[in-house]
Amino acid sequence: MKKRTILGVRACTWVWLIMMGLTLVTYLIGQLGLGGISASLTVLAFALIKGQMLGDYFMGLKRISGFWRWPVVIWLFLPGGLISVAFTLVG
Amino acid sequence: MQAQAVAEPIRYPPGDLAIWVFILAELAAFGAFFGAYAFTRMQHVELFNHFQATLDRDAALINTFALITSSYFVVRAVASIRDNNSQGCVRWLMAALVMGALFLIVKAQEYAHHIDEGIRLSTNTFYMFYLSLTFFHFMHVIMGMVILAAVAVKAKRGGYSATEHTGVETGASYWHMVDLVWLILFPLVYVMK
Repeated sequence: MKKRTILGVRACTWVWLIMMGLTLVTYLIGQLGLGGISASLTVLAFALIKGQMLGDYFMGLKRISGFWRWPVVIWLFLPGGLISVAFTLVG
Repeated sequence: MQAQAVAEPIRYPPGDLAIWVFILAELAAFGAFFGAYAFTRMQHVELFNHFQATLDRDAALINTFALITSSYFVVRAVASIRDNNSQGCVRWLMAALVMGALFLIVKAQEYAHHIDEGIRLSTNTFYMFYLSLTFFHFMHVIMGMVILAAVAVKAKRGGYSATEHTGVETGASYWHMVDLVWLILFPLVYVMK
């Protein structure tokens, strides 16, 4: 079975590295004491991107068509939206 | 006649469909929890920001790395069994279990520290959410590890193959859900303020 690779590295390995990198940036934002709407929504966006990558590439939902393609996407959108609204209203 | 490979659309996610119904129910519960946290925080912003600063963000970073890495190992386990490599599948699952154990140890140390400081669910609203949310997730990590261990035992006995490995995909899907929840929980509880 042929593996999908980019620059000789498995696609799933790239996904793992990107997720680890976004996690490190999230941690550093916390360590720098950055807060407020911009920092919070940036960190949340990183989390949603990681969640989408996990759903698409680790759970294997990217190649699914029909109903089962969407529950994880919708799940990310709903709590993500609620959290965004709550943090934005607080300012 | 030239043969053409037509990619059939895949309509169902990997693993047993029953686990996906369970996963959606779990995600709904955690989603409601996250929304409740965010909207309760609106009434107590200073309290949440003050006590969030008392949490161990280094431990949370280690745990996030551990869960993401364990999910990656599980992806490799599924790839191995699809290649009919049972031994490889078992090795990747064991590596994932080690990462899961690391998560539990680090989180247990955090809880021990909180208990030493006299922190309880009733201490304040922030700790009520923090302790209940993270402990609810903690229990899911344990459940996921039990499932992965059962899958690893069956794989070691040659119970899966390239053509029949639904059990591996089912366990993998549950474990990825546990990771997915933590990906939102970590920034929400430990970083966003």
